[in-house]
Amino acid sequence: MGSAFNVFLEAAFIENLVLAYFLGMCSYLAVSKSVKTAIGLGAAVIFVLGITMPINWLLNKFLLEPGTNIFGGMLGQEMDLTFLRFILFIAIIASMVQLVEMIIEKYSPSLYISLGIFLPLITVNCAILGGSLFMVSRDYNLVESVAFGLGGGFGWFLAIVAIAAIREKMLYSDVPPALRGLGMAFILTGLMGIAFMSLMGIDPAALANGGK
Amino acid sequence: MGLIDFVKKLEPDKKKSPKLHTVYDGFFTFLYAPNSVTKEGVHIRDGMDLKRTMFMVVIALQLCYLFGTYNIGHQHFAALYPDLGLFSGFVPKLIYGLVQLLPIFVVANLVGLGIEFLYAAKKGHPIEEGFLVSGALIPLIMPPDVPLWMLAMSVAFAVIIGKEAFGGTGMNIFNIALLSRVFIFFAYPGEISGDAVWVSGITEIEKSLFTDYSWMHTMFNPLLEWMGTYSFVEGRPIVDSFTGATPLGLAAKGGWDAVTEVYSTTAMWWGTIPGSIGETSKPLILAGAALLVFIGIGSWRIMLSMFVGAMLTGMALNAWGATPFMEVPWLYQFYMGSFFFAMAFMATDPVTATATTKGKWIYGFFIGSVGMIIRVLNPAYPEGWMLAILFMNTFAPLIDHFVLESNISKRLKRTTSE
Repeated sequence: MGSAFNVFLEAAFIENLVLAYFLGMCSYLAVSKSVKTAIGLGAAVIFVLGITMPINWLLNKFLLEPGTNIFGGMLGQEMDLTFLRFILFIAIIASMVQLVEMIIEKYSPSLYISLGIFLPLITVNCAILGGSLFMVSRDYNLVESVAFGLGGGFGWFLAIVAIAAIREKMLYSDVPPALRGLGMAFILTGLMGIAFMSLMGIDPAALANGGK
Repeated sequence: MGLIDFVKKLEPDKKKSPKLHTVYDGFFTFLYAPNSVTKEGVHIRDGMDLKRTMFMVVIALQLCYLFGTYNIGHQHFAALYPDLGLFSGFVPKLIYGLVQLLPIFVVANLVGLGIEFLYAAKKGHPIEEGFLVSGALIPLIMPPDVPLWMLAMSVAFAVIIGKEAFGGTGMNIFNIALLSRVFIFFAYPGEISGDAVWVSGITEIEKSLFTDYSWMHTMFNPLLEWMGTYSFVEGRPIVDSFTGATPLGLAAKGGWDAVTEVYSTTAMWWGTIPGSIGETSKPLILAGAALLVFIGIGSWRIMLSMFVGAMLTGMALNAWGATPFMEVPWLYQFYMGSFFFAMAFMATDPVTATATTKGKWIYGFFIGSVGMIIRVLNPAYPEGWMLAILFMNTFAPLIDHFVLESNISKRLKRTTSE
């Protein structure tokens, strides 16, 4: 459990998906005009990341990876299906996003309308596919991958809500005309990235083992 | 004829030379409270405008400036002559400090105010005096030996990206002075890391240290020789007992014992140790902070909650105690580094801090907590306050948003229930 908690902290604060890897920028920049919609989209991302990660982990292990997939036992010969990884992950993500969309439409139509096209576009949010691919490349186990999904989602949520609050505050600022809108959002993201560098370099796993 | 009549005579014509008029207007309102007041509606008429407010902060910084100037020189000569008392060699120390500090101050203000003037003239606004405080703060948080071109780059970055892009004075989200410091820190990490001491005027030649004076220092030599004091002699070797680690660098390796071997607690408290120019002397900073609180510019809520946040985090780290640095008693954490300077002058910046009362408590507490975590747990940075304040600058509007929302919903409930 300890390692899962470390993975959560690392994904949420130390290696924030938006502010350290700059993943999931499109919806991050487009939906960050008001805190309320940002909270909605952020929660949707947490949900999708948290649910797709374990599913993708299971599929990756039991369908794709040679040596552990079920085809090995059935055919008596190892099969490497990892080339299907992208398409399979995206299919899972798309179906989960469909689920979220249906839930939000049913329970909060106003949020559904204000999120607009960006709700189905979570499917192609790089943060979510990126999360699944990080999970594979870093050899997380099932619990760790759930923690990574929730932590990464929480970090994304935090970043979009923070920038939304700043952009709401900046509504009355006299920004030079050339920078209004997205230009300022990019500068803000960069400065926030500098601020988040404050936690980069902390190694929770090493600290848990007594600083070594 | 008073001085004001003379100054008014100098006023350039606004239509003929708008740029000159902008500059004139900037200096005029700096010297005098403007005469034009709103005639209609209900307004409070008070001479305490933005310029006066900012000037108070500059006054609160003066003790740090005086001591910082002297300390640059003191540290330099203390590295040469290890048994030197604090007040012996007063004049050369002062001259050395002034020669080192003045160019830093001039460059920082020239670049910052220059950009400010250009933007004001271009926008057709009067000059926004926002750089007054930043220009006074930036020299104090720089290492005494900072190369002037780096300083100019960082100030330009902070003013253009951090302020003018956001719409000028009062609109910035991130603290300008800290942005310039963080720019130097990340852009030129080889020069400025913060775990080796900043004693000014020393170069390394084949692994041993020698003094290194500029022409500006040696210019004073005839005067000093005439007075019969130490003079600036090129290439004098530094004594062997000179160590090159800051208290924080020592604490990260060997805990509190390693720190007290080199620095005494009184020296750390009074600030007669190497460091950034203005942040070493705790009592003088606290005096400045008291002035700010007394006038009502600095928020005591932020200062207090920041202290409590750092204290509680320090206690929690003591309880954890996995590394020698974590075992440093929480009280001694305050002796090291620049906590008090960050608390008094950086965190309380009314523009970038939270605006709501409840928000101030939360904001300060998290700065204290995050700063201590960065200092102790993050091996990448020796000190945490600069980054902790920028980190919480990011979240200040969010904290305000939620405090306001909760207030609104509370009041809504009150009205609907009756």
